[in-house]
Amino acid sequence: MTFAEITQRLGTAFPDGIEVVEDTLMDPAVRIRADLAHAVCLWLRDDPDLHMDTLRVITATDRPPESIDVVWHLLSMRHRHTLVLKARLPRETPDVSTVSDLWASANWFEREQWDLMGVNFTGHPDLRRLMMPIDWVGHPLRKDYVRPDSYHGIPTSRDAVTPVTRAEIPRHLPKAEPTDDLMLINMGPVHPATHGVLNFLLETDGEIVRHAKPDVGYLHRSIEKIAEMNTYAGTMPYTDRVDYLGGMMTNQGWAMACERLLGIEVPRRAEFCRVIACELNRIASHLVGTGSMSMDLGAYTPFIHWLRERETINDIMERICGARLTYTYMRIGGVCRDIDRETLDKISAWLDHFEPICAEFDRLITGNEIFVHRLANVAVLTKEVALSYSIVGPNLRASGVKWDLRRDEPYSVYPELDFDIPVGLGWRGTVGDCYDRLLLRLFEIRECIKILRQAIAMIPDGEVRAKVPRILKPAANEAYGRVEAPRGEAGFYVTSDGTDKPWRVRIRTGCFTAMPVIEHMSPGLMIADIVAVIGSLDVIAPEVDR
Amino acid sequence: MSDPNDLPGTEAPIAVPEPVPVPVPAPVLAPAPVLAPAPLPSPACVPGSMPGEVITTTVDNFVNWFREGSIWYMLFATACCGIELMQTGGPRTDLDRFGAVPRSSPRQSDLMIIAGTITYKMADRVRMLYAQMPEPRYVIAMGSCANCGGLFQRGYSVIPGVDSVIPVDIYLPGCPPRPEALNEAILRLQDLMHGERWTQKIKGNA
Repeated sequence: MTFAEITQRLGTAFPDGIEVVEDTLMDPAVRIRADLAHAVCLWLRDDPDLHMDTLRVITATDRPPESIDVVWHLLSMRHRHTLVLKARLPRETPDVSTVSDLWASANWFEREQWDLMGVNFTGHPDLRRLMMPIDWVGHPLRKDYVRPDSYHGIPTSRDAVTPVTRAEIPRHLPKAEPTDDLMLINMGPVHPATHGVLNFLLETDGEIVRHAKPDVGYLHRSIEKIAEMNTYAGTMPYTDRVDYLGGMMTNQGWAMACERLLGIEVPRRAEFCRVIACELNRIASHLVGTGSMSMDLGAYTPFIHWLRERETINDIMERICGARLTYTYMRIGGVCRDIDRETLDKISAWLDHFEPICAEFDRLITGNEIFVHRLANVAVLTKEVALSYSIVGPNLRASGVKWDLRRDEPYSVYPELDFDIPVGLGWRGTVGDCYDRLLLRLFEIRECIKILRQAIAMIPDGEVRAKVPRILKPAANEAYGRVEAPRGEAGFYVTSDGTDKPWRVRIRTGCFTAMPVIEHMSPGLMIADIVAVIGSLDVIAPEVDR
Repeated sequence: MSDPNDLPGTEAPIAVPEPVPVPVPAPVLAPAPVLAPAPLPSPACVPGSMPGEVITTTVDNFVNWFREGSIWYMLFATACCGIELMQTGGPRTDLDRFGAVPRSSPRQSDLMIIAGTITYKMADRVRMLYAQMPEPRYVIAMGSCANCGGLFQRGYSVIPGVDSVIPVDIYLPGCPPRPEALNEAILRLQDLMHGERWTQKIKGNA
């Protein structure tokens, strides 16, 4: 259904509900009355023709001096249409009703926007700070926010730092208080099996977890705020660090959002360079994902095998863009340099070497009965729960929903390439269990190999960068650029205001919505299963916290 | 093809890889090695001992030699640098050959590699982990974020260098540093450990 049709139906259902239809935007939006937000969302979700089953992201944009905009990006996977819904709130009393009872993923989105922007979602079950420490003062993403001079005695400016010496003994902190009957265990933020700084408060009864409460924000690096201070091109290096395992994809997401704002056409060779770099990066990311998961469960050998292969990918990446991990390969309007024939030959040679090794990994670990028993039927994520929690990427596909942005909202040159999208079939247990999520990634690695071979054969000659002005000043507009990253949708919602810096940048990542679902799945699991769940969801901290 | 709710059945099933049995070779007994006759003893350097049996050194050298050959570092990776830390422990750079192996607990670690960004929320935890490590303890600040806040200095949530929380021995630049660089940092740390004078410290305390 097109935007005009949706707006018309919305106007019929809520005659005085629509304030403004902003159809000049790159992603046309409809602004509704703030007090109707919940009713409109309910109607959009339940109307059979609209069926907005997924909430992509909730954004709050500060518009001083008098208002704050709240933006809901909605998506219908069934009908393949999207809608951008907005509401304008007064800046002094930004109250809007919660939609966390409609989509479970809204819970954390709203908590984050309350924390960083101060929007009060009335009726929210648990409106606490999510990213910042509990005793933090102020809402940092507001335009008039002033950084404090220090927090807990730590200065905020490098100039004010006096390095601590060994003579000063750091102080201890009190431990967590136990609760009645249940034992409270703190898992993380430093834990060898939590993949970075993720923290879980486990309420356990013996070995059984009654409740696992994720606590995030230990790696919240204020990238959204820094992006507002930078030029469009200057934000590119930060996008690497949003997802350090799949930096190419986040690069591309940012580049695509800016190219949509500026109306830049990317040369064809550059698109192929992007695809080659991204798919290579996707393999590297899945190698770490599956390898570290098997290591967490006690199998060390496969991990070392995968790391050895990953070193070769790093070498190739170094040839392509000069960096091993934080690539910054994409530019707005193309890529920074061409991939030469010798590198393409190296990639082909490596693929010939790597393909048999996939089978070796299967021999080592995938078909191993101990491993299968450890994972099959553990922490089943059903299709309905996955959609409600806005799970994306391999985790969603493992639950049996065939949704891949490369196919369903096609971008770049993916429509010309022939590849399958594996979905979870309950290979050894139930659809959507830990084993499905692991195996799906291994199948995706094989699909990446297929894509890479085609792209290397098809790459045309030509330029790799479009003619782009030195200073980028897009007109006031809004665009949402999204790509299929290794952990699902990486979306950049950029609001420009006519200057050379964006007004607001919102980053939507796959891991952010995969975290709260652990809380949903945890009751009844063993403590050791929590490790398997984290590993199988492939959650990494910077994507959650940004 | 468009309806996600009836998709799983329409897919062609993908074969699950089965474990392939590996033939076990029969054990072969090696022939007994022929031992060369032991060399005759030459004049001893220390009375009553064989040559090579006794060395003379200082207590400091002796203790430091042991310490620098078994640097156990804590598994503590916060951000991007953690991936390079992992690759450093991997097959190519292989940090294990210097005796540096990862430990999961701070209470058994000699070295803390701050691999990544530290936020204000994390700062208290870092302080606590450092306090839990036994003396002597060392800290490598790996990467720009741990050195000075790096790329994220202008953000509101990142501390400007981990040395505002705990003492740092080695600053390792880079964003992220390559595995070779981390390797070099470990070697520099060994130099630093080699210069420690424990006997004097004990005398000073007594």
